Amino acid sequence: MDLRHTEADEDFRRELTTWLDGNLPQDMRENAFWADLSDDEQFDARRTWEKGKAAAGFAGIAWPTEYGGRGGTPTMKAIYDEEMAKANAPRTVNPLGLAFLAPTVMVLGTEQQKQDIIKPLLHCETIWCQGFSETGAGSDLAALQMRAEDQGDHYLLNGQKIWTTNAMHGDRIFTLARTSSPEGGKKHAGISMLLVDMEQPGIEARPLKQMTGEAEFGEVFYTDALCPKDAVLGGEGNGWATAMLLLSFERGSSAIGQYTEFRRQWSAVVEIAQQLERDGRTAAQDPTIRQQLAAALVELECLKYHSWHVLTQTSQGRDLGFEASMTKMMWSETFRRVSDAYEDVLGTGFQVAHPQPGLSVEELTTMAMWSRSCTIWGGSQQVQRTVVAERVLGLPR
Amino acid sequence: MQFQLTDEQRALQDAVRSYLRDRFGPTQVRALFDTDTDGVPADLWKAVNEQGWLAVLVPEEHDGLGLGLLDASVISRAFGAATVPGPWLSTILVGEALRLAGSPAQQAEHLPRLTEGLVMGAVALVRNGATPNPAGAPVEVGGDSLTGDLGLVEYAEAATTLVVASRDGGLHLVDPSGPGVTITPQSSLDRTTKLARVVLDGAAAERLEGSSPEVLQEVLDRAAVLVAGDLAGIARKALTDTVEYDKIRQQFGKPVGSFQAIKHDLADLHVAVTMAEHAATYAAHAFDIDAPDKQLAASIAKSKAADASRTAVSAMIQYHGGIGYTWEHDSHFYFKRSKRQEASYGDVAQHRERIAQLLIDGAGHPAAPSTTGHESSGMAAGVA
Repeated sequence: MDLRHTEADEDFRRELTTWLDGNLPQDMRENAFWADLSDDEQFDARRTWEKGKAAAGFAGIAWPTEYGGRGGTPTMKAIYDEEMAKANAPRTVNPLGLAFLAPTVMVLGTEQQKQDIIKPLLHCETIWCQGFSETGAGSDLAALQMRAEDQGDHYLLNGQKIWTTNAMHGDRIFTLARTSSPEGGKKHAGISMLLVDMEQPGIEARPLKQMTGEAEFGEVFYTDALCPKDAVLGGEGNGWATAMLLLSFERGSSAIGQYTEFRRQWSAVVEIAQQLERDGRTAAQDPTIRQQLAAALVELECLKYHSWHVLTQTSQGRDLGFEASMTKMMWSETFRRVSDAYEDVLGTGFQVAHPQPGLSVEELTTMAMWSRSCTIWGGSQQVQRTVVAERVLGLPR
Repeated sequence: MQFQLTDEQRALQDAVRSYLRDRFGPTQVRALFDTDTDGVPADLWKAVNEQGWLAVLVPEEHDGLGLGLLDASVISRAFGAATVPGPWLSTILVGEALRLAGSPAQQAEHLPRLTEGLVMGAVALVRNGATPNPAGAPVEVGGDSLTGDLGLVEYAEAATTLVVASRDGGLHLVDPSGPGVTITPQSSLDRTTKLARVVLDGAAAERLEGSSPEVLQEVLDRAAVLVAGDLAGIARKALTDTVEYDKIRQQFGKPVGSFQAIKHDLADLHVAVTMAEHAATYAAHAFDIDAPDKQLAASIAKSKAADASRTAVSAMIQYHGGIGYTWEHDSHFYFKRSKRQEASYGDVAQHRERIAQLLIDGAGHPAAPSTTGHESSGMAAGVA
């Protein structure tokens, strides 16, 4: 048992925090800065900042240098996640590309695809969307209907994708489509993963307004959209296996960034509880609220311990396999618990931006609502439970 | 970053588990429930001593192994999983009281005897149901003699040495067979322990010379961490047995473990038990490196492990169906032990309240918490 990082890893932390001190303006660290910007302005500001960060050598921390990464260790990546969260730095504009597409291309892509895709992705020159879910294919992803018709040198795509993050800002979209009919009712067969340009007449993206009022995701309509035949990842007809590999890449990641972010939110909730009056004392003195806040804190700290566990295993080159589905279950559930506590602390005040004069909670309220999406996207809590029960505990299908 | 047991700790874990598997299994536990015994199986107690499991925390200069709380926690988790009876924990705690509060002479007199297996310990550090801090000690003030109702004390009847805490932070050695000590054995639902009501009326006592509220708190926290390990062991075993049974038990023509209602509950439980294991591990390590957040870690571990175990033993009964409610099935061993340990050294609500005191009422809750095990926040001691 030794929870210290190596000197080289700590050197990296110092280098990163020094750079952040000089290059992340204080106002950008404040939630209020972002609240005043439109969705488009927010995205542009984040993209510009992230490009600058990449140019300074802080893109793709654990990625090989030959593909535009920094060539660091898994621990450096965890330190990066932690320090970015501590600094309240802008979150990445390319989350799906970074977490999913890039590692999949590394395993299944041709050398040309690696060269064409990874570096521009790490450096935010290309923003990637994920075209998986459809209106009739959510948790049951293999029910997807998007058609890709073989036209000799290209495919012709028709169909619709939904819940697409960054739909309005994406440059390209990795799309699951049917390149042939499912044989004998095997719905997993005949699917391919296509790398589609979004800047073309056959593609139309429309924003979807979320319960927060923002529109970070949208719908993407494909009407005779074009995709070259060589823009298939993992081979034609192998789309299901490619998608399963792609989704597996979340597994190896430690949740230290999420922990750091949620822990700061917990502290913000405590500060609010200390300011709000309730039954002649502060909400922070209310025994029920105290129990709830402490219970949420316990889950938060367990998330930290679990992140150490994951980092220990991945640093030793071990694949956690399906055990890592727990990480997503754990952080999304914990996030929701912190939000539950927040909503209970505020009570009626949750409805308004200023629960009392001088107290502004708009951004925290948005985060509390955002937590409700995290137990749905990327495999709902219910899907994850089934995975853990069957693949980790070995319960029968 | 090495958040895992060392090779030596894993070897210790294997040794404890394999001894218990071969020599002290469910049959031996069942004997405790079906027959009237003193709750200290002789072969087991001999082995506990010979294997060094009593000497684990005693410094080498007093013939002990000089290991850490994480090593002791490895043992307590294996003991919980196997519902091991006997005064191992209370003897360990007598040793900790001596190690942390005893004068050199007191240590030299008692600790080597403990490592030889000549001491069977009992402790009364906190009133039944009280928050585990000096204000919860069973005796008002300590002197050459002690008077007070100690409540229910584990293994008081079998013990050779009794350590009693007083509210001024004193830790006192009492001879349980001496005058002024009345021990009335009680029948315990959990037959893997022995309980007795103990009343002191002018009983002769020897104060450990380095006693203080801070040291008493340290002993109480260490006790909570070891009980958290025991609970994590109970929880894991209850979950594992339930999963294995539900893979086999058929209803509606298929294994009941294939039903989503059961699957999802057990998946959630697996996550909870895993977190309880992490929390018990970190808390023990936090004491070994004297981390600034060790008190917080102890309360996190005890509350999480108790919570997970409570859910696990309940699920064990429920997902075994009718058989799980019978005397013939092992479920009740785990249920009864869990109830005892959930309440030992602070229950879930008490530890959550302490977390609130440390982080909400304390010196602060930093905006940028450390993630390498060293909280910089105020660690208001839970002392009166």
